[in-house]
Amino acid sequence: MAARQAWVATLFFMIVTLFAQVAAAQERHVAIDLVPESARPAAGSTVTLAFDSRPEKSWHGYWKNGGDAGIETTLEWTLPAGVSAGELRYPVPGRLIVGGLMNYVYEAPFAQLVELAIPAGLAAGTKLPIQVKADYLVCTEEICVPETQTLATVLTIGDGAVDPATRARFDGWRLKMPRPLGSPATWQGAQGQFRLAVPFPASAAAGDVYFYPAAGGAVDYAAPQAVTRDGDRIVLTTKAAPGTAAIGAIAGVLATGDGQGFAIRAQPGVVAAVEQASSGGWQAAALAFAGAVVGGLLLNIMPCVFPILSLKALSLAKSGGNEGAARREALAYTAGVVLVCVALGGILLGLRAGGATVGWAFQLQDPRVIGVLLLLTAGIALNLAGLFELPTPAFASRSGTSGAFATGALAAFVATPCTGPFMGAALGAALVLPPAAAMLVFAGLGLGIALPFLLIGFVPALRRRLPRPGAWMARLRRILSVPMFLTALALTWVLGRQAGVDGMTLGLAATLLAGFGLWWTGRRQETGRERAWWPAVPAMALALIVVVLVKPQAAVSAPSMAGVEPFSEARLAALRAEGRPVFAYFTADWCLTCKVNEKAAIETAGTARAFADGKVAVLVGNWTDGDPALGRFIEGHNRAGVPLYLWYPKGAASPRVLPQLLTTGMLTELPGGTT
Amino acid sequence: MRLLIPFAVAVLAITPAAAQQAIGKPAGNFRLTDADGKSVTLGQFKGRPVVLEWNNPGCPYVKKHYESGNMQATQAKAKAAGAVWLTINSGAPGKQGYMTGPQAKSFVTTQKAAPTAYLLDPEGRVGKGYAAKTTPHLYLIDAAGRLVYQGGIDDRPTPDKADVIGARNHVLAALGEVKAGKAVSMPETRPYGCSVKYAD
Repeated sequence: MAARQAWVATLFFMIVTLFAQVAAAQERHVAIDLVPESARPAAGSTVTLAFDSRPEKSWHGYWKNGGDAGIETTLEWTLPAGVSAGELRYPVPGRLIVGGLMNYVYEAPFAQLVELAIPAGLAAGTKLPIQVKADYLVCTEEICVPETQTLATVLTIGDGAVDPATRARFDGWRLKMPRPLGSPATWQGAQGQFRLAVPFPASAAAGDVYFYPAAGGAVDYAAPQAVTRDGDRIVLTTKAAPGTAAIGAIAGVLATGDGQGFAIRAQPGVVAAVEQASSGGWQAAALAFAGAVVGGLLLNIMPCVFPILSLKALSLAKSGGNEGAARREALAYTAGVVLVCVALGGILLGLRAGGATVGWAFQLQDPRVIGVLLLLTAGIALNLAGLFELPTPAFASRSGTSGAFATGALAAFVATPCTGPFMGAALGAALVLPPAAAMLVFAGLGLGIALPFLLIGFVPALRRRLPRPGAWMARLRRILSVPMFLTALALTWVLGRQAGVDGMTLGLAATLLAGFGLWWTGRRQETGRERAWWPAVPAMALALIVVVLVKPQAAVSAPSMAGVEPFSEARLAALRAEGRPVFAYFTADWCLTCKVNEKAAIETAGTARAFADGKVAVLVGNWTDGDPALGRFIEGHNRAGVPLYLWYPKGAASPRVLPQLLTTGMLTELPGGTT
Repeated sequence: MRLLIPFAVAVLAITPAAAQQAIGKPAGNFRLTDADGKSVTLGQFKGRPVVLEWNNPGCPYVKKHYESGNMQATQAKAKAAGAVWLTINSGAPGKQGYMTGPQAKSFVTTQKAAPTAYLLDPEGRVGKGYAAKTTPHLYLIDAAGRLVYQGGIDDRPTPDKADVIGARNHVLAALGEVKAGKAVSMPETRPYGCSVKYAD
């Protein structure tokens, strides 16, 4: 009987327990597992714990700042003596607008991480029971439920080994954590507007940019955020929360799409408004347009354009007083200039949108383009100097609309390198204006260049003031050849900068070859021979081939660092075993400080020489995509992120952590200096 | 539903001008229908301080303050200090917390609540006009009709009833300061609770 009673009691207890569990499971809308990265952490180390959370379908959990409503997770730990838990770290959240209220949430499985510090001096095999009570809020679009779960795990002191599968899971979760951006951001609240400027290299990709403030009082959560990439910064504009002026530094996460984001901290400061495509934007565009016209006008007296313009003026003077022809030519010239300016501008904007860092006159960054231009200007100069005569079909001095169009196109193409000093502001504006407005600026530049010629074409009085054709014209031509030769000289210098002495010599050889061909042609023209052009054509063709063969020389000012290898802990260990000093640095495309250091201190001739002399191995860790293995290594050196510069002197046990701002002097001292 | 029509018309008639109320500025006037179908305007209480309380009986954070008796006690103390207490429900039909007039009356009775009136705002016009974000979300308007406090009921943003004890009741503190002729020391706090279930 007693046995039977006990049986029934057990069965009853089991049913009740089961029922209670089912009921509990039904009440909870998020399943949470507490997962340690290593179940056998070493004494004196830290172990990462994950709250592996899986919300039910249509339910969501909240970020640290829940947005308009929502509550952060609170934890109450029960830990063995000496063990301490760090702050709860949240992955980059998502956005959910319900009934006009913004919620910062997780709708898919997510994991929050906590670092647990294990005290030193514990014997292997010591059990550490870990318990935590988590209070959190879960909601659907209709209802909200605060939930409580008590989670527990037992750690055993051991060797700290991590199971590869567990490591992979943790690495996946770590990738979702915001990475520290390092560079300080700036924010400003003005006239109800909140503007945030975050240093972010123009070359680094960022999509679906959104700023999640860590605390209230900064922005109106539900207001849309307008994002502009303005060179090496991201400018974000949105509606400010009331009373924004009273708050100081603002922390938060700048999400850049695909669950990636950066932890940033913004100090109050001045953030100039970046004009959006609004009336203000068009006002700025109109101003920039006016500036571009004036700039273009000024370009006419620059050595780049003046010779070409004078060619045209000359042909017009020659052509006499035909009203209609003069107007047509003026219009065709204008069309040529404007079209090329707009086309170059379009290519520039396209490249810029594609993420490439290009500036105005980008087409002159390719030595082959410079080479072709050199041949062209040298040819024109030789023509002006009287070496040969351009036959009627050649474009530059030909009258008629197509000749005028081609001249205009050429003028615009060669004028662009001269735009720098005059056009800086207008072109700078063009790059941040909406594309349509930017194109207007480029068109304005073209119009400015064409303006004097338009005037000559349309104002007969002006044209009448032009002197009659005569012997003076030949003299003027010779004089005009001088600025053209100077242009060729300038282009030769540019070629030398870009392609080195070899490239420049090749360019000059090609010019010589073309000049020889043209001289021969000139000789034949003088003697009235048929087919005067046959010597020049192969010479020009050969010259073109030669200049196209010119290769850019990367090493003009940026010495390539010999022996730079990608970082891995195995490679580092191998190099140190060889007894070589190692300079290891960690960088990322989105880290502006890293880029500055690389350009100013690491990739310099002085550093390269010092490192080569000292047989220093250089290892580069690229943390752009947040590689968790690198992340662990970086964290191991008490840094939250990049830049991190480590110097391992020969035979030293531990590296020296270098400051985050480097100088060439600092680096060149390393190989020779002591530990 | 029949109840909704006159009500919606009434709401359309007077809606707050600004989308958000600013501290120190006159609070936007409104007209809503109470649980008995009577029309109530904010303007009719001029000369007395008015507390606005956003309510959703299904929200666990609202339950915390009603089941612990904290909300009723706050209502009683505010009324004893001469204030008017308006409980407003901006829940949309079909969403958690939406109530009809009779349901609202029954809620007030069973909870032994003591608001001056329980007002229904199913279109969320007044809620959005005051930028009410959570339930509860509280506002205090002084006798001159100016907004002097907006935010949470207290400084313990948890659903735990035990946290009522020892919390700073922001509403009673603000009311006390207003009565004493002082400036409200914490005019804005972060409201906490469930999001108001507005119509989309």
